[in-house]
Amino acid sequence: MQANLNRYSRQILFSEIGEEGQKKLRDSKVVLAGCGALGTVIANNLVRAGIGELKIIDRDFVELNNLQRQILFDEEDVKRNIPKAIAAVEKLKKINSQVKLEAVVADVNFTNVEAVVEGAKLLVDGTDNFEVRFLLNDACVKADIPWIYGSCVGSYGLTMNIIPGKTPCFRCLFETAPLPGMAPTCDTAGVINPIVNIIAAIETAEAIKYLTGKFEALNKDLITIDIWEGSFEKFNIADRRDKFDCPCCKQRKFEFLEAKQGSSITSLCGRNAVQITQKSIGRVDFQELAERLKKSGEVTFNKYLLKFSIDQYEISLFLDSRAIIKGTNDFSVARGLYAKYIGT
Amino acid sequence: MKKIIYFDNAATSWPKPVSVYRKMDEFIRKWGANPGRAGHRMAVGAERIIEETRHQTAQFFAIKDYQRIIFTLNCTDSLNIGIKGLLKRGDHVITTYLEHNSVSRPLEGLVKKGIITVTRVNHSEDGFIDLQELNKAFTPQTRLVVIVHGSNVIGSLQPIREIGKISKEKGTIFMVDAAQTAGVIPIDVEKDNIDLLAFPGHKALFGPPGTGGLYVGPRVDLEPWREGGSGVDSEAELQPKELPFKLEGGTINTVGIAGLGAGITFIQKEGIEKIRQHEMELTKYLLEKLSEMRKVIIYDTGDGEMRIGTVSFNVEGLSPAEVGAILDESFGIACRTGLHCAPYTHKKLGTFPEGTVRFSLGYFNTREEVDFAMNSLTQIVA
Repeated sequence: MQANLNRYSRQILFSEIGEEGQKKLRDSKVVLAGCGALGTVIANNLVRAGIGELKIIDRDFVELNNLQRQILFDEEDVKRNIPKAIAAVEKLKKINSQVKLEAVVADVNFTNVEAVVEGAKLLVDGTDNFEVRFLLNDACVKADIPWIYGSCVGSYGLTMNIIPGKTPCFRCLFETAPLPGMAPTCDTAGVINPIVNIIAAIETAEAIKYLTGKFEALNKDLITIDIWEGSFEKFNIADRRDKFDCPCCKQRKFEFLEAKQGSSITSLCGRNAVQITQKSIGRVDFQELAERLKKSGEVTFNKYLLKFSIDQYEISLFLDSRAIIKGTNDFSVARGLYAKYIGT
Repeated sequence: MKKIIYFDNAATSWPKPVSVYRKMDEFIRKWGANPGRAGHRMAVGAERIIEETRHQTAQFFAIKDYQRIIFTLNCTDSLNIGIKGLLKRGDHVITTYLEHNSVSRPLEGLVKKGIITVTRVNHSEDGFIDLQELNKAFTPQTRLVVIVHGSNVIGSLQPIREIGKISKEKGTIFMVDAAQTAGVIPIDVEKDNIDLLAFPGHKALFGPPGTGGLYVGPRVDLEPWREGGSGVDSEAELQPKELPFKLEGGTINTVGIAGLGAGITFIQKEGIEKIRQHEMELTKYLLEKLSEMRKVIIYDTGDGEMRIGTVSFNVEGLSPAEVGAILDESFGIACRTGLHCAPYTHKKLGTFPEGTVRFSLGYFNTREEVDFAMNSLTQIVA
């Protein structure tokens, strides 16, 4: 079907894009991993800008506390308790019926990540944890698919472009994930919506540049912004790839794809409980984590374990960062809770 | 990594005798061919070792016709081959609430399909089935009595000789699930009146995971549900009728079975009585120490003799999974927590659905390890 380009007239008038750029957008398939705060803004922007095809993958359901920043959802979606990917696609269809949309309600993990990115011209990051980004990085570097990293917490956010073979990859910058429980997450430290919009807007701009073939205009730095403090910084990372013998993009060892790194998850014999174990072992600082978690729910700890209750779930975290999550048998829910409250 | 204390022998025994590792290494290097499928020396050599092990296994359980031993993947496989190969539409089965899912699930599957009916016989608080109730449970349609020899949760050991006798008098097939006992409790299929004996190779018999066996007595005719290559009668359109070929379609786990043979040899050399005595002394010691501990609730047969080396307990204020994770994480103790695939037992015990912490001791465990574990538990409950 020949998409009608009139609706994009203001974008076509922008000389860097033009009709040629618009057609390139129309012929592009983008995968969006994660459809929360960043993801909804990015999806909204890309669909309005007229990309050809968007696949959205997300494991979560719409909750009331999402509405403060996740722009594609409304109170009706909360009432219907529907998956974010589905709710987003419903809304996006009304915005631009010319875009081919696909919703995938799933947890991205080593068994499916290669299928998730397959066929994409570009992947954009709207996820909320380190482990999934390492996975996306492995899959994208392996399949030679560029991706745009973005993340936010509090009033702070960062983003960078990863063009396999040309720029440093995610692992060139972050060799390993921070220890579980040691980094703030939106569910422990909060997040305000302006920083989400800014980071998502930059990710979208970079996506449009890449998809329209304006490679020379692409940002080459790691951008960090703190919208509360008013700091806008760019770090030159161009030499990271030369200076570091990256296991992923240099040695082409895809340790997360091969499940040699990351977490594993098992259902526990007994009712409604799942265990998540981390492959790389570090010691969790219960004191520090408890301090962070006490704002979100009830938390107690002793020498051996930390217990945290949130809604109908209870997380028991042990020193080596393994967790038993009670109240669910669903691996996606368990991984989601781990990412949100323990964080990795 | 710190030294691990392995208290999960009811799941699979570990470590294995060194002779088992050596035998498997030697076998796969020297005799890695497919037994019985060719006439060359490697195939013949492989077959010789498999048949020797078959013979040895048969002798171990006082089985006269060694070809009535079928090698399988594990005890679950053996139970499935027996249960599904035997039962026909309209049959009635007697079993217990102490069974592992490897008995309960095949039976429930057949019940749900409307093929069989099942009666479960109650057990006493100390885990022994009610023989009077058993006697009354028989109907003219009763085709099978299937019973776990040693409970993998509370450790009670059923009097299979008596049950076998009752079964025989009623003209019913008697099947024993020897998952927890084969290798540590003497079993004599003749004296115990056993028609079908399912056993794992990888627990007390010291073989590797992926090995098991099924004895098929002369009163039983099983339908094979795995058909295929047998190395004999290849011109025939159907699976051969002779045992073991009838039930052993496909290439068997030769290297594992060679290891199983070495495991049984180890038991024969040490003496099953000595192994049993060691496990019982250690279990008694463990129970003594556990019962002195505050905040620990023991779920155990309590019987000193008719039992195996498996002890279940819980710690007040912690779920079994949490206790297990702390024991592993902070103290290097490997044990099993949860339902141990025996949900009916836990329902009776009142420990469903969280289950229990289970220490299952083996021949290679020591008093020092029990002491260390008790010391660790003391710190956890403090």
